[in-house]
Amino acid sequence: MMKDPQLALHGLAIKKHGTAEEVAAITALDPAVVTKHLDAAAETGRALKTGDKYMLQPTAQIALKSAYSRDYSDERANADMQAAYDDFERVNEQLKSLITEWQTMTVGGKSMPNDHSDKAYDDKIIDRLGDLHERAEPVLDRLAAGLPRLSVWKQLLLTALERAEDGEIDWVSDARCMSYHTAWFEMHEDLIRVLGRERLE
Amino acid sequence: MTRWTTKLDGSDLPDKLLIGGKGWSVARMAALGLTVPPAFVITTEACTEYRRTKDFPDGLIDEIAEGLSWLEAQTGRTYGHGPSPLLVSVRSGAAISMPGMMDTVLNMGICGETETALTEECGDPAFARDTHRRFHELYSHIVLKTDAGELSNDDTAQDWAETIRAASGKDLPADPTDRLHAAVRAVFESWDSRRAKRYRKHHDISDDLGTAVVIQAMVFGNMSGASGTGVMFSRNPIDGNPTPYGEYLVNAQGEDVVSGKFTPRPLDTMRDTVPEAHDALLDGARRLEVENGDVQDIEFTVQDGTLYFLQARAAKRAPEAALKIATDMLDEGTIDEATALTRITPDQVRSLLAPRLADGAAASAETLARGEAASPGIGIGVVVTDSDEAERRAANGEAVILARATTSPDDLHGMIAAMAVVTERGGSTSHAAVVSRALGVPCVTGCGDATVTALAGRTITVDGAEGLILADALDVQEPDETALSGIVRLTRIAEGVSPVRVILPGDAPSSALDLNAVEGGSELDRLPELLKGVDIAGGGALADDKGVAIAVAAGVKTIVGQPRLAILLAALRAQKTNEDRETIAVEASV
Repeated sequence: MMKDPQLALHGLAIKKHGTAEEVAAITALDPAVVTKHLDAAAETGRALKTGDKYMLQPTAQIALKSAYSRDYSDERANADMQAAYDDFERVNEQLKSLITEWQTMTVGGKSMPNDHSDKAYDDKIIDRLGDLHERAEPVLDRLAAGLPRLSVWKQLLLTALERAEDGEIDWVSDARCMSYHTAWFEMHEDLIRVLGRERLE
Repeated sequence: MTRWTTKLDGSDLPDKLLIGGKGWSVARMAALGLTVPPAFVITTEACTEYRRTKDFPDGLIDEIAEGLSWLEAQTGRTYGHGPSPLLVSVRSGAAISMPGMMDTVLNMGICGETETALTEECGDPAFARDTHRRFHELYSHIVLKTDAGELSNDDTAQDWAETIRAASGKDLPADPTDRLHAAVRAVFESWDSRRAKRYRKHHDISDDLGTAVVIQAMVFGNMSGASGTGVMFSRNPIDGNPTPYGEYLVNAQGEDVVSGKFTPRPLDTMRDTVPEAHDALLDGARRLEVENGDVQDIEFTVQDGTLYFLQARAAKRAPEAALKIATDMLDEGTIDEATALTRITPDQVRSLLAPRLADGAAASAETLARGEAASPGIGIGVVVTDSDEAERRAANGEAVILARATTSPDDLHGMIAAMAVVTERGGSTSHAAVVSRALGVPCVTGCGDATVTALAGRTITVDGAEGLILADALDVQEPDETALSGIVRLTRIAEGVSPVRVILPGDAPSSALDLNAVEGGSELDRLPELLKGVDIAGGGALADDKGVAIAVAAGVKTIVGQPRLAILLAALRAQKTNEDRETIAVEASV
C-alpha cells in the first residue's frame, strides 16, 4: 500500500501537470493533504509549482518508479487483480475502437473526421459507450476489491458518461476535460503503474 | 384481431407511439412498396402492461406464436427446426430513441438442429458454425449483459453455454422459443435501465410511453450465386455526384463485408448476377430519396434473386459532397433554402476552406516516411522527440512536430503544443491517433521503426489526410471562400436568415471588440461577461461554434471572422437548438 506522500506524487505523475484538486480527484486523497505533500515536494525540488499547478521533476519520477515495486508488491502478487487487469485490457481494446468510431466515420468506404452533424450516429455511440461502461463496472469492482482507492475511477467515468448522455458531447473524448476517454486513459496509466504492466502499443 | 402485436406488412402505418421508431421505419418502407423482410411488432401497450404486472400480459405468448407462424408462412421457413430454419432479429424501439435500451439480438432461432440444417442449405459449415457462435456471444453480451469473452468455434454449444453461465451466473435457455421470450422480457426491462430512466428524466419524457419490440425474419445473402449483400448510396457521398454509388458482395452475408474475408465489388456488378434486383434497388432508392428529401444510405440483401431493403437512412457525406448535394437538391426543387442550410455543417465548411498543400507541392517534395492517415490537416515544423521539449520550444513561438515511437498520457502536453504528431508504431486506434483527433492536431501513425531518429531536428511537412511525411516546409494555400460558387450561394441565403451579421476581419471597424487582445478572450466560460453590451466582436473563443452560440444569446449583432458561412451556420444552429429544446419538451408531454 502506498503512503499518502508518494500517492500524491503518483497522482501528479498521472496528471503530469495539474492542480492539487485534480490530483485529489483521482487518488481519493483529501485536497488539503495533496496540497501539503505537493508543496513539500516543491520545496525539496521534487516538483515544480507554477501558479496553482504542479509538475513532477525527473528525480521524483525515478524515485516513484522504484517505489511501485515495493509499495504495490501485494497488489502485483494478487492473482485476482492481475486476472481482472487482463479482462480490463479486453474492454480497453473495445473502448479504443469505440472512441475511434466516435472520432471518425466511414463515408462510402472512406474514413473521415466525425463532424458530429449526425446526432443519431453520435447518440448510438454514446449508447454503446454506456453498454461498455456496464461491462467494465464489474471488472473495475474486482480491481477495487484489491486496492479500494481505485473505485474513484468508476465514479469519474460515470460522471463523464452522464454528461455525455445529457448532450455535452465533449465529455466523450475531449483531451482537455475529464472526459470518459481522459479518465479511462488516466485510469489505465494508474493500473499499469500499480500492477507493473506494460502498455500494449 | 390482435391485442398486443401488429404485422408490419405495409397495409397501414400505425402510430409511432404504439409501434416505436424502428417498427415504424419498417412499416413505412413496406408502405412505399419496397420489399422488406417480414416483421411484426409487440406494441408499447404490452410493455406498459408488463411494467405494471411484472409479467407478460395474458395472450401475448399466443400472439408471439401467431406472429412467428405468420413469418414462417411468409418465408417458407420454420422457427427452431429444419430443413429451412427461420432465424429472426429482436430489437427494441421506443417512439423516441434513447440510450440504455436493449441492442439488437441477431440469429435468434439458431440451435444444434438448425445449425445442421443451415449447413446443408448454404453448403457452408463455417457460416452455420459462426452464426451459432455469434448468437451465443451476442445473447450473453446484450441480453445477459456480461462479457464472456470470445467463444471458440472448436467448442460445443454446451461449452459455450457453460462459459456464459460461469461469467454471468445466469442460464441461457435451451429452447429457441424460450430464448425469444427472454429477449422480449429483456427489451421491456431495458426501458427501466438506469441510463434510459436518466435520459427520460433529463429530457422530460414520460416513463409511461414504453418500448415496442420488433421481431423480423432474417434474410440470407449467402444462399446461392443469385444472392448477395451490399450497401448503396442514392448519390455519391464522397464527391456528391448524382449517380448511385455502392458495393455488392455476391453470395455473402453482411458480416463478411466487415470481416474483410471478401472484397466488395462496385454496385454495377449486381447486373451480372441479379439484374432485376439491381433495377429494383435503383428504383427503391429514388423513391426513398424523394420521399425523405435527402440522400439515402441503404443496406440491402438479395436472397435467391429477391431484393430486401434492410435499412434506409440519411447518408453521411464528405464536405465536398455536402456542398454539392445541398445546392443540387436546391436546384432540383427537392429541398427549400432553409433545408439546404441544414445540409452542411460549420465544420464541413471549414474543412472545405482549410489550408492545403499548394498544387504540385507534394508531387515534387521528397517523401521521408509514410504511415496511417490518423488525423487530417497540414502541420509544418521542426521535429522534436520529447514532449517537454516540444512544449518548451512551442511556448517560445517555434513551430514543432512531435515524433515519438508511441505516445502515452505523459505526452499530452507535447501533443497540444505540436503542429503535428508522428509515431513509429500503432494504427488508427492508437493513443496518438485518438488523442490527436480529439485535439484537432494532424497525425500520422505507424511510420516504422527508426523514423523518430531519422526525422529528429529536420523541418518537415506532415499531411495527416494522406499519411505522408514530406521534407522541408512546403507551400500551403488557403482556398478563397469567394471562389467556390456553392459557398457564395449558401452564404447569401444564410445572410438573409441569420440572427447575426458576419464580416471579414479586413472589413472590421476599429470599434470591434477583438477577443484575441482581451485577457480570457479565448475561454468560453468568460464569454458571456466579456460580450455584455457589445455590438460587434471577433477572434478568440468566437472561432468555436459554442462561442458563436454564446454571442447570439448575448445579443451580439455582428461577428468578425471567417469563413463567414461557417459562422452564419453556427449562429443558425444555435438559434434552432433553442427552438428544438422547447419542441422536445412539448412532444414528450403528449
